[in-house]
Amino acid sequence: MNENIPLLSIRNLSTHFFVEEGVVKAVEDVSFDVAEGKTLAVVGESGCGKSVTALSVMGLVPESAGRVVDGQILFRGDDLLKKTESQMRRIRGNEIAMIFQEPMTSLNPVFTIGNQIVEAVKLHQGIKGEHAWSHAVEMLRKVGIADPARRVREYPHQMSGGMRQRVMIAMALCCWPSLLIADEPTTALDVTIQAQILELLRELQKQQNMSVMMITHDLGVAAENADDVAVVYASNIVETASVAAIFEEPLHPYTQGLLRSMPRLGQKMERLESIGGSVPNPLHFPQGCKFHPRCPIGVSDQRCRTQQPQLREVAPGRCAACFHAKGYGD
Amino acid sequence: MPAYIIRRLLYMIPIVFGVLLLTFLLFNVVGADQAVYRLAGNNPTPEILDDIRHELGYDKPLIFSIDSQFVTHVKKAVTFNFGKALDKEPIIDKLKNGVPYSLALTVPMFFGIVVTSVSLAILAAFYRGTWFDRIILLICVAGMSFPYLSYIIFGQYFIAYKYDLFQIYFSPQRSIWSNAALPILIGIVVGIGGNVRFYRTVMLDEINSGYIRTAFAKGLSTRVVLFKHLLKNAMIPIITNTVLTLPYLCLGSLLLESFFGIPGIGGITLDAIESRDFSVISTMTFIFSILFVIFNLISDVCYAFADPRISFD
Amino acid sequence: MNEDNINSFQRSSLWHDAFRRLRRRKFAMVCFWIVAGYFALAVFVYIAESIDPTMSAINWKEQLGQGMEYQRPSLCSVKTIFGTNFLGQSTLISTLYGVKTALAVAFAASVISIMIGVPLGAAAGYFGGVVDDIVVWIYSTLSNIPWIILVMAFAVVLNDDKIMGGKLSGEPGVYLAIGLTSWVGICRLIRGEIIKRKESEYVLAAKAVGCSNSRIIFRHLLPNVFHIIIINFSLRFVSFIHMEVIISFLGLGDANKPSWGKMISAASSELTRGIWWEMTAATMAIFVLSLALNIFGDALRDCLDPKLRMER
Repeated sequence: MNENIPLLSIRNLSTHFFVEEGVVKAVEDVSFDVAEGKTLAVVGESGCGKSVTALSVMGLVPESAGRVVDGQILFRGDDLLKKTESQMRRIRGNEIAMIFQEPMTSLNPVFTIGNQIVEAVKLHQGIKGEHAWSHAVEMLRKVGIADPARRVREYPHQMSGGMRQRVMIAMALCCWPSLLIADEPTTALDVTIQAQILELLRELQKQQNMSVMMITHDLGVAAENADDVAVVYASNIVETASVAAIFEEPLHPYTQGLLRSMPRLGQKMERLESIGGSVPNPLHFPQGCKFHPRCPIGVSDQRCRTQQPQLREVAPGRCAACFHAKGYGD
Repeated sequence: MPAYIIRRLLYMIPIVFGVLLLTFLLFNVVGADQAVYRLAGNNPTPEILDDIRHELGYDKPLIFSIDSQFVTHVKKAVTFNFGKALDKEPIIDKLKNGVPYSLALTVPMFFGIVVTSVSLAILAAFYRGTWFDRIILLICVAGMSFPYLSYIIFGQYFIAYKYDLFQIYFSPQRSIWSNAALPILIGIVVGIGGNVRFYRTVMLDEINSGYIRTAFAKGLSTRVVLFKHLLKNAMIPIITNTVLTLPYLCLGSLLLESFFGIPGIGGITLDAIESRDFSVISTMTFIFSILFVIFNLISDVCYAFADPRISFD
Repeated sequence: MNEDNINSFQRSSLWHDAFRRLRRRKFAMVCFWIVAGYFALAVFVYIAESIDPTMSAINWKEQLGQGMEYQRPSLCSVKTIFGTNFLGQSTLISTLYGVKTALAVAFAASVISIMIGVPLGAAAGYFGGVVDDIVVWIYSTLSNIPWIILVMAFAVVLNDDKIMGGKLSGEPGVYLAIGLTSWVGICRLIRGEIIKRKESEYVLAAKAVGCSNSRIIFRHLLPNVFHIIIINFSLRFVSFIHMEVIISFLGLGDANKPSWGKMISAASSELTRGIWWEMTAATMAIFVLSLALNIFGDALRDCLDPKLRMER
């Protein structure tokens, strides 16, 4: 595989929803790459468009409400947006798999978990009958479920939340995908379980040599698991960089704000800072830089209020979308 | 499971008792005089009235006696010995003759309605918000608004009389299917509207849930997702609702049977209503409600089979 | 602000919001005006009849043709737009009169079923225990008899009958039959809602300040489920109208006044002779009213309580 082509490369992606009150621009002109075998964390507040980006990659944006209006999603150099539905079906669950936030509702309550895993194996791997079931048992063992031969015949409601998320992971990985999209995989779980699941994901990623696009609102999760970070604010990417760089020196005021609102070891603080104001309504984004009403610099800057900064390379390997970022130029 | 069914059967007892009490109140207490006067004809003498009362058993004490009207009423129901209709034919014979015809009409109608409306509802839910969905919904509401009688009368007139595609009226020489085809068709058309609308709401509740997204993310085709994952979950409310549609099937069989002259239970009931034959109406009420209670039980058992989260205890 | 005020404030904003949303739905508003038009006609017929039953605009007995002669629909006079029936009486006026019959029966039946269903449901839900057991027993008994058979049975018995000294016939028999048998749905809904709400903070607060049970039910609980009653009312109304048609078709209604069911009954045998207009007039009158009511009722439910799933 050519080193220079990233596994997944999203270029100028825009996904809009058409509702009664107007057009919701859930994803606007978003570009980023996920490198082979690496983990990219997409970080942002809830409702900023992270999940819609993921659904756009999967081709699962609900047809009745929204669609991808512009851009390219290059997977191994092929544009996924140009594929037919049946071509996409061969990719979904096979080469690109996805796990979701709510393990409680993401599994079908009326089928055994074995049935649900086997379904994917049969579909993509062409393994039949007993072999598919033993593969399912094997996958369950791999994700750390005790007594998998018995568990495989149980229903989701007989399992705890953490176990269900393990089942989801087993289901996603059963066809050895090269890209895993994890949409807030640990948000709905207890803290101790969260750590176990993330640990498991890291381990499996190494074993199967896959890339992960991890969507999270938690910079801590990103710091521990990701190689690169893309920060999303109000449907736009505001900053991309390697994990080390972003924690070392965040360039965008929003990233800076996020970092300041994170508790840190060894630092004594009276209370955590938070970013003032709230996420803008996607129906009525502010003029200019979308962050300017909440930004300590932008709120008084004429240019920030009228012009929208484009994402631009500010240093080797990192980009930012802020007029005041170091290296942004004029 | 047997324990569950036995418990449910015990739970039927107060209901059946309630039904008997109600039919007793209606036909022996409130309606007694009406029946007597109807039979007596114009300007009856008190002697004739007393004779009829005696013949119908209305002269016995209402409740507090060993052979009171209520005791007889309950005894009839429990022993399934319902006595005779006004035309002296035993009611149980009337029932036995009518049941096959009624079943030939209602069973295909029932399955026709469920299969068509579930499929249409799935499609409408999947294409929710599009023109297809809106047109289906509008047709359903329009279909529900069109009067039942007009369906039957216009159907009979246009399809059978004018264009001669089906039999207009029952004739014993022909097979029951050629006799029942048009009423079945009309019954299905009438039943679809409300059902599609109801099932669509059920499907919409399910189609936005996480497991549907997961199934699509696995790469399953739309057909598999809708007819395997969605349908099995939606089955649960669907089963409950199909039981609720059964009374509407009774309505269907009542009017359809009488219009097309099919000698089923519905037709018998309507004849009884026309001739004010209270013992027949009372029996039919009892029989239909027993059937209804049993179907309720069946639906609950199916429910438990369809949903692994429900156990029988 | 005391809790009463907060309560009524929330309620008024619920209704305010709902009506604002409703007004934006043009189609639903058109349907509302159609329904309103029907009601206006019914009121007009009622008033005109009580002033002078032989008034020409509502005198359906008046014969336009000679004896058994049928008059086809024609525009030569208003009364013959829909033609005449086999007695030479104007179909238009019969249809018009049918509006009054149908709406009066459906309205009275709705009132009866609400008057029975709401208090019983509220009492069962609020008090629980034996009261609940008895109410549940009564309505499960009723709901286990197919509705159509039940209504028929009631209608037969209540037709031309002497009850408690009074004579009962015609319309009252029909709406009593429908009303007495159809309160189960609303009763069940209200019972469920009250059970859901009786542990809520505002009820506990009312209890804590020593409100009586009846005050809690009537001042605090019922106003909060009022929208459910309204939705149920608007959606049930259609089935009451259809029921009235079937009952009077079977000859269990008022034998002396025109109704849509009677028109259909008379016209069904005339259809083969090419007399299509009487049947069509009655059918269309029912169809337009039901369609408008259905669409408006649905819109009302969507605006007031989108989550509410109504039994049919």
